[in-house]
Amino acid sequence: MKPAKFEYHAPGSVDEAIALLGRYEGDAKVLAGGQSLVPLLNFRLSRPAALIDLNRIPSLAYIRADDGVVRFGAMTRQRTIEFSDVVRQRLPLLSEATRLVGHLPIRTRGTIGGSIAHADPSAEYPAILAALDGEVVVKGPKGERTVKARELFQTYLTTSLESDEVLTEVRLPAIDAGAGTAFEEFSRRHGDFAIIGIAAVIAGDGASCSMARLATAGAGPIPVRLRAAEEILERDGLGDAPIAAAAARAAELVDPDSDIHASSAYRKHLTGVLTERAVRRAMAKRGR
Amino acid sequence: MAFLRSPHAHARIGRVDLASARAMPGVVTCVTAADLRDTVRPLRAASRMTGYHATDLLPLAADKVRYQGEPVVAVVAESRYVAEDAVDAIAVEWSPLPPVPDARAAMAAESPLVHEEFGTNVILTRAFRHGDVDPALAGAALVVRERFRFRRHAALPIENRAALAAWNADGLTLWSSTQVPGMVRDALAESLAVPGHRIRVVAPDVGGGFGLKSSVYAEEIAVAALARRVGRPVKWIGDRREDLLASTQAWDEEIDATLALDGHGTIRGLRASVLADVGAYSIVPWTASIEVIQVISFLPGPYRVPAYLGEGAGVATNKAPMGPYRGVGRPVATFVMESLLDRAARRLGLDPREIRRRNFITEFPWRSPSGIVWDSGSFAETLDEAARLADWDGVRAAQSLRGDATRRLGVGVASYVELTGIGSAIPASPGADIATGTEGATVRVDPTGTVTASFGLACHGQGHETTLAQVVADTLGARLDDVRVVHGDTSAGPIGTGTYASRSAVLGGGAAILASRSVREKALAIAAHQLEADARDIELQESAAWVRGAPDRRVSLREIARSAYLGARRLPKGLEPGLEATRYYDPFFGTASSATHIAVVEVDLALGAVTVLRHVVVEDCGRVINPRIVEGQTIGGVAQGIGGALLEELVYDDQAQLATGSLMDYLPPTAWEIPPIVVRHLDRPSPSTIGGFKGVGEGGTIGAPAAIANAVSDALGSLGVEIAELPVTPDRIFRLLASRAPRTG
Ligand SMILES: Cc1cc2nc3c(=O)[nH]c(=O)nc-3n(C[C@H](O)[C@H](O)[C@H](O)COP(=O)(O)OP(=O)(O)OC[C@H]3O[C@@H](n4cnc5c(N)ncnc54)[C@H](O)[C@@H]3O)c2cc1C
Repeated sequence: MKPAKFEYHAPGSVDEAIALLGRYEGDAKVLAGGQSLVPLLNFRLSRPAALIDLNRIPSLAYIRADDGVVRFGAMTRQRTIEFSDVVRQRLPLLSEATRLVGHLPIRTRGTIGGSIAHADPSAEYPAILAALDGEVVVKGPKGERTVKARELFQTYLTTSLESDEVLTEVRLPAIDAGAGTAFEEFSRRHGDFAIIGIAAVIAGDGASCSMARLATAGAGPIPVRLRAAEEILERDGLGDAPIAAAAARAAELVDPDSDIHASSAYRKHLTGVLTERAVRRAMAKRGR
Repeated sequence: MAFLRSPHAHARIGRVDLASARAMPGVVTCVTAADLRDTVRPLRAASRMTGYHATDLLPLAADKVRYQGEPVVAVVAESRYVAEDAVDAIAVEWSPLPPVPDARAAMAAESPLVHEEFGTNVILTRAFRHGDVDPALAGAALVVRERFRFRRHAALPIENRAALAAWNADGLTLWSSTQVPGMVRDALAESLAVPGHRIRVVAPDVGGGFGLKSSVYAEEIAVAALARRVGRPVKWIGDRREDLLASTQAWDEEIDATLALDGHGTIRGLRASVLADVGAYSIVPWTASIEVIQVISFLPGPYRVPAYLGEGAGVATNKAPMGPYRGVGRPVATFVMESLLDRAARRLGLDPREIRRRNFITEFPWRSPSGIVWDSGSFAETLDEAARLADWDGVRAAQSLRGDATRRLGVGVASYVELTGIGSAIPASPGADIATGTEGATVRVDPTGTVTASFGLACHGQGHETTLAQVVADTLGARLDDVRVVHGDTSAGPIGTGTYASRSAVLGGGAAILASRSVREKALAIAAHQLEADARDIELQESAAWVRGAPDRRVSLREIARSAYLGARRLPKGLEPGLEATRYYDPFFGTASSATHIAVVEVDLALGAVTVLRHVVVEDCGRVINPRIVEGQTIGGVAQGIGGALLEELVYDDQAQLATGSLMDYLPPTAWEIPPIVVRHLDRPSPSTIGGFKGVGEGGTIGAPAAIANAVSDALGSLGVEIAELPVTPDRIFRLLASRAPRTG
């Protein structure tokens, strides 16, 4: 488990990084926290000619909140997000979910940009990007562009980023103060990737639901936004029957694959169970 | 050093092109089996078992590979990075063969053969018969039957296997992360045709073994052979991928079992047939029989079973070889027997504790249906105490309060008896030609008055440095700080094999007592001479001697030892100089350790998730040398048992490719998944071993899976679900519930 030979560059700016990526014509990889990339290198499943290390670009690590949007520099560590007051206030869903990402040493190095660029469908951050309709800022030789969650994730570990582009920023709309949020997840062990995770945002008074946002982790090759289930809640409110109906709809909306940890049928079942639990918990947290 | 390992489960090895690998800068040599044919002889695990087929152990596969991960080419380079690059540059012409993916497939008439020369994939069978089981079953008031399945498991020591070989004019020194330096020395002498006294095997601080490191491995032979070939030291540090692919694996058995009882729950007979997937080779020196035969040997457990038939078959497949793992056979046997008893109790409306009490063996010595002699056992006592500590009645009360909530409580019990400190009467591996029944100790007091106790056994985390020092200090009358324990070095101690099978406290401790007694006797004689008293009146404690009743005039152990070596008038007339002794010990039958485990679990029906809320172990490991060490051993064992019950499974696909090749997919429990574990010791000295010790290294892993399985069955009992397959993963619980009840949401 030693990586194949690679060259190593530690540019001081994003532009320099982009230039280096261009020079290797698709054969270089960006190194962020390394928590997903380094295992792939060690197993020789990934054999880039060069690593372009973003860890020496301090301007890529920040959390800023303005205009109802929270902006994260791509190199912001998961551990920083976990303890950020801004995130706790504006994006409690993200605070909660961050505690479910791996273990302390992993969060200490792992970055939000790396997690989203890596596009593991079982990861928490891509699900939240999908649930909140967030977007990412991507910079390449032709300049900057923004990409919405639904255009970003293509399939397992694959995004619409070009090989010479760097993800520089993640933008998540702040959650209304009155809304309730919950991230329900089931994994085999504490800290493992989710078998199924459900991100939920619920707004509205009493049994009425003015807005519902639901998205999955682990239920398919990309995070799945459960729009049809959200609609049931927004239309019929938050009584037992509509919640059960939304949960059942959620299970129908996903088409997960089987793997050694969980069959497709079990994942579908969990999608329903966890949708119901997430909705109920998010409801209970409204207005706090 | 790095190995090119087979990517295929079953394939013929065609042309191997080493040219570009050999040409890489930093590569010292690349060799195949053909290059080593003249200098390395194959090893075979011999056995007197009828119908047994031995297989060759070679450093590199010749002609054909039989499991994914089998070493084919060895590359020696200046660094592991370069060696792995060179491995990448080797081209092998493979001719893939249809693989034999599991034991059932291997038994089919049309199955490909793992070893063509045997004409069968069944490489061993064995049966134990006692009484007449058919009438017992036919006439019984209650018969419970089940097909049990215990999936494949990895021992997973924290330190992967590793070996470093260096030759000089005196011969070979091999440092190896092994439990059995003595066995490795003997094996290397044979395979490399080098006299034994020219081989030194050192097992330094070893980071865990759990049985995985108790066999002789191809890689150990390869580093030794290649170091000789290139004339330089050669090192191989296995990585986790290699550990999961190419170390011995555990369990993987299917057991058809039938238990017959009368209307009161008294056992009338037991019949079991075990089908074991033993993988591709019969390991050295244990043979492929070690696990499966221990299952049928231990199945009757701590119970009176008047009629028994236990049959086992070991079937070769294209997987990594099966080997001994903490508890060997007993975790599976205990899972089966304890599950059957709970099923019977449920049918008869009996309390699980009561059905056990009605069947426990109460007279000792007791000859088990498989011929083991139980010298003692604290079965009912451990059961009652465990039930009290686990608050059994409280759990029952809480269960009825919860009713049919989504989260169900369950409580499960497992009692077992295990043979530990096995002596020469019962070989640790049936029919195999290895000396597992004896172990030696050398106790030497040097002229500075400090004590060195050397052993042929090896320590890989059990704390022998503490426990054996305690035994020597107590027996000899030396200060604990004055005793140093040396182990794991074949040139530093008496002859021995190593540490496995819960033997070191019993055999090493027993030999330590014998040797310490001899030294003490001599020290007393010298002290008596110097204090002008009779040896019978001398006290020797804490490294000082005095005449009983006159503690003011003392001679220190240092003075005694100096005298022993100075000789002349300082010694009693005729006493041989020197202050050391080497003694060997053979406990003959061995001794019985016993315990009861009780697990309390919560099952979330909607998730199919099991959480162990608490786990209680009450055990009788004989005289307790050091309670903290016993506790550490037990807790570690329980943690591995929890892994086996709920999480850990080596999954091979239908092409016999390992799907759990890293710790992202093979899931040992972490601290989060381990509940508070309560351990209570009963201090009941063994009636049959010197010192009264019984073994305790493996017990935790023996009881935990069965107790947890029974607890889950208890939680799900009202839904008609009983656990017959481990690990009981969330997906399996989901399927069990889905097949019996309407979907829960
Ligand atoms: C044991 C373990 C458990 C884990 N459990 C979880 C979990 O439960 N949930 C979870 O979400 N994650 C989990 N992870 C993954 C972890 O969160 C990683 O940190 C994350 O997936 C990747 O982030 P990184 O910063 O480490 O990226 P890296 O590993 O450095 O990079 C990952 C990939 O993204 C690319 N990349 C990174 N940054 C950029 C960028 N700015 N622009 C373009 N491309 C980029 C890299 O080239 C690479 O292909 C776990 C990891 C481990 C080792």
